[in-house]
Order: sequence, then structure tokens, then C-alpha cells
Amino acid sequence: MSLAPSSAPARMPGWLLILPALLFLVAFFVLPLIDNSLRSFEVGGEFSLGRYIQLLTDTFYLGVIVETVVLSTAVTVICALIGYPVAYYLVRHAGRWSGLIVFLLIAPLLTSIIMRTYGWQVLFARRGLVNTLLVQDLGILERPLQLLNTPGIAIAALVHVLVPFMVLSIATVLQGIDQRLEEGAQMLGASRWRTFLEVTLPLSADGIGTGAILVFMIANGSFVTLVLLGGGFQTLPLFIYQQFTTTRDFGMASTMSTILLVIAMTCLYLQLRLVRRAGV
Amino acid sequence: MSGSSALWLDQIRKDYGPVTAVRDLSLTVEPGHLVALLGPSGCGKTTTLRMVAGFERPSAGRIVIGDQDVTALPPHRRNLGMVFQNYSLFPHRTVAENIAFGLRMAGKSRTEQAEAVTRMLDLVQLAGRGDMYPRQLSGGQQQRIALARSLVLDPRVLLLDEPLGALDKSLRESMQFEIRAMQQRLGITTLLVTHDQEEAMTMSDQIAVMQDGRILQMGAPTEIYDRPETRFVAEFLGTSNIFGGTVAASGQEMAADGMTIRLPHPVTPGNRVFLSVRPERVRVGDEARAMPSHTRARVAGRVFRGTYEACHLEIGPEARQVYAYLPSRGALGAGGSATGQECWIGWAAEDSVIVTSE
Repeated sequence: MSLAPSSAPARMPGWLLILPALLFLVAFFVLPLIDNSLRSFEVGGEFSLGRYIQLLTDTFYLGVIVETVVLSTAVTVICALIGYPVAYYLVRHAGRWSGLIVFLLIAPLLTSIIMRTYGWQVLFARRGLVNTLLVQDLGILERPLQLLNTPGIAIAALVHVLVPFMVLSIATVLQGIDQRLEEGAQMLGASRWRTFLEVTLPLSADGIGTGAILVFMIANGSFVTLVLLGGGFQTLPLFIYQQFTTTRDFGMASTMSTILLVIAMTCLYLQLRLVRRAGV
Repeated sequence: MSGSSALWLDQIRKDYGPVTAVRDLSLTVEPGHLVALLGPSGCGKTTTLRMVAGFERPSAGRIVIGDQDVTALPPHRRNLGMVFQNYSLFPHRTVAENIAFGLRMAGKSRTEQAEAVTRMLDLVQLAGRGDMYPRQLSGGQQQRIALARSLVLDPRVLLLDEPLGALDKSLRESMQFEIRAMQQRLGITTLLVTHDQEEAMTMSDQIAVMQDGRILQMGAPTEIYDRPETRFVAEFLGTSNIFGGTVAASGQEMAADGMTIRLPHPVTPGNRVFLSVRPERVRVGDEARAMPSHTRARVAGRVFRGTYEACHLEIGPEARQVYAYLPSRGALGAGGSATGQECWIGWAAEDSVIVTSE
């Protein structure tokens, strides 16, 4: 408590500072979530696990859950593969350009996700920029390609949105690695590549982990991109939307969102474990 | 350990754009010797070491180790050892894994690695600490592990980059002796970079004093200290009183700061020379009157420093400052007193050295 200036006339308890934010969170986040999960356990006025049993045993619903996780994993892996070299360049080679690169990375996040997704539609539509270029201007193809509503475009759009999170997570950790550790490894006979594998990569694992969990969680809950770009994916967020608008089965929607929440919480828990282990 | 190699820097130069960090520097380290590159920050000593290590490529010149020109070799193929100021132990590996790292890179068997680790831990007196992580060790212990990690590979040359800079003073002193003893026992050619003159004096066979990308003077510690060739060397190693003046017609004396100073050897009359006198060579009191160079001085300050007393004196019409160190020999507890009084100071001509203005 030595941080508080001793001359302060009346000491304000520290927790007062976060009270407004806390009240806001409770009213608009915690209570609705509790209400939502209560609804998932209620069938005809009584407590029941029926919906969970149905969701976790029915092969169709299980398929949806698996597909959600597989899609998110794929997006995460691609983000890591693309993001690591970018982060490495940013920290080690960009020099005075690093500020510009960080800006370029973050800039897409400043536009609404809907605008960005429509951008992908404009680019890849049947008579969009890419097809026009390939067919009319360059004459490489005879007829336009079916690009929209393919899994590839949906994954590309998700990666586009999420890769900055991966880059920034990894760059933060890379920044903290003392380059003399790498020089030390080289003096001990490790080639540059060996040094990367033995020293740089293990020491930046926490950055990859943090980025991966972040990307995975956001990809898991991604909705707009998949609605607008399709790709034939059947993921939990799309199903929840369907339950609300088409089937009007609110109870089932609540159950699915609770499962989504549990997956997210598991991720957060893993991240905390990771950070604690690394807390040297 | 097998015989260590000589290190030879042949006219090496390093330019960073318009800035030259190292200017055509040549240096030889005899096998088994320890040479210190000593100088203020920015003098090019670290750049020189990094060129030997292979992290910087010389703009010109050659680096030869033993009879091999290594100028173009990458660091990992030079077979050198290096110890950094911040130890640079791998935080994600145990002490034993740190020591075994180089052996593993060289493809040595597990049993060989384990044997060597045990041997090295014994050598640095940290037996039984193999399973600990570097962060669980003290700074001095980490530095010993860093040494062991380098020495286990039997490097041709050991490079020490301000190796004790992060340790506190008392530990630094004992580590200076410890590293020096180990270096001599193993007979390993060593290049030490430091800005700490005491460290350089304690550990080296030879000191190369650097300034502005060049070696100003190289020699044994006593030689550098007692026979500095330039004003910079005299002032960087220890403290020096520098007197500048024009040599009188006799060639034996010069006038400076209101006193007549006897030169240690004859110089062409009319030349402008600088004379360096170490504070511990300056006599204070009535005995000073008998010295060939002497004058009246006013005591401006006295500081008790334990083993000696540093006197801050003023001489001549412009109150020029002169330092004198007097051994602490008075009554216990009586050090560091009276200022303002007048006294005689003086020194023997052979206790002074003529230096260049550089």
C-alpha cells in the first residue's frame, strides 16, 4: 500500500475504482450468461440434462461440434505458420519499419468485420476482381472460378482476420528473448537453424501458445465470416443462430452456447496454466 | 586439455557506414596467454571481440587462429568459447543440459556428455547442481556454469565479454582470481574485454589499452601502469597528475604551473611535453623539499579511503589541482582531517613519465 501517496486526505478503497466496470459486467454479461445456461437445463419447467445428452450423443450434433473444433484448429495452425515468420521479421529485421508493420497488421481490425467480409465477396465473386482479372484481362482461364462459398475462402478470410493476434502474441515474446542467448548457442557450435530450433523456438513457445489459444477461441465463435462467405461449414455459432431464427428452439440454442462457452473456458484455463508454468 | 592456439588479428577494420569502429587493429595473443582489451565504452573493444567471435565481419583485415584463417567462418564453426556479461545460460534448460549443449551439437554420445558434465561441475566446484535451473543459482554460480559450458568444448580461444560486470564488488574480486587461476591451469588462450582497469590488471598477462578504434599501448600490467606512453593511457589506468610545459634551454627541466619540474631524461629544448606523475608517487610534507621537483601547496581536501588517504592539493597561481595518495599510517581513527593548511609537495624525477599529448 506504499504506492498510495501518503498525503491523500481520505483514502479510497482500491476496489471502488473497478466498481462501475464490475456492475456493468454483472448486469450485462454475468446475469445473462447465468440465465442462458439455466435455460439449457430446463425442460417443461423441470431440471433436465436431456439436451446435453442429446447434443453429446447424437452423431449429427457431435459432428457439428467436431467440425467447429477442426475448423478452428486448422485456422489456428495456418495463423501460426504465417504469423511466426512475420513476427520474427518484425522483431529482428524490420528496424525502424516495425511501427509501420504493426500499424498495417492492426489496420484491418479497425474496419468492421462485416465490411471486411463484404470485401472478400467483392474480390472473389463470379464477376469479382479476381475472376475478371483471370478470365478477361489475363485470359488464363476460360470461365470464372467458383470461389465464394468454398471452404478455402472462408478459411482464408478467418486467417486474414485472426493472424494479427498471432503475430502480436509471438512478437511480444520474441522481443523479450535476449539475442545473446542465440549468440551463446552459436558459440557452442549450433548453426543458425539449430539455434532457432534449440533456443529461439522453445523460448517463444509461450507466444505461440497465447496466440493459438486466442485465435482458436475467436475462430470457435466466429459467425459473420461464415454466414457471409459460407463454405458449407456447419459450426456451433451458425447452428445457434439457426435455432433462434428458424427452429425457434431457444433451449437447444442455450445448450449449444453453453458448450461453446465451456470450450472457451477450457482454452482460458489452458492459457493460465501455460503462463503460470512459464512464470519464471 | 590439448594445447591452445595463438590468436592473431591482422590489420582488422570495421566500418559502420561513415563511422569507423575499429581502425586497422593488429594484435597477437600468444598461446596460453590472457590479453585484456581495456578502454572506455565506444572504444571498439566489444566490436573487436565480436569480430573474433564471428558475429561481425571485418571490413578489412584477417583473423587467424592457430594456423587457420577464420575471417570468413561463421561463429559455430570457429571452435571458440565465449562468456557474456549476463551469463546467457539457456533459461529453459538445466545446468547439466547447459553444459552438455555444445557436446550435443558436436554429436557426442550421452555417456560422454554425462561424464563431461560431472567433470566440469567438479572443476567449477558446483558438483551436484546439475539438475537445477540457472535462475536457481546466484550470479557467481551462473557465471561459473557459463565458464564450464564454454570450457567443456576445449575451445581454441576463450572470449570473455565483461564477464564480471554484473557481479558485486567483493564477489568480482574473488572471481577475478578464480578465472585467472583456471585459465592458467588449463593454459587456454584468452581475450578479455573490460572497461574495469582493476579487472584488467588482476587477470591479464598483457593489457591493450584502446581508444577510438585503435590500440594506444600494449604491455604487461606494470609496464602499462608505470610507463604509460600517452596521456590517455596514464589517465585511464589509475589516476595521473599531468603537467604540460615547454622544455627549458638545459633540456633537463620545464616550467609548469609556477614550478620548475625536473624531467626524467633529457629532451630537446623548446619542445612542448607532458609529464605524468602518479598520486602515490607524490610526497607531501617537509621531506618533499629535498625532491628535485617541489613546490608549496594548499590542502583543499582529504578523503579517507581505507588503505590510503587521497589528498586534493592546489598549487601555483591558478590553483591547479594535484592529487596525492598517502598511506594510512597515522593513529587509528585519525584519518581524513584538516584542510586549508599549506605544505610542501614534490617527487623524484624518476617517478615521473613523459607522455604524448594524445
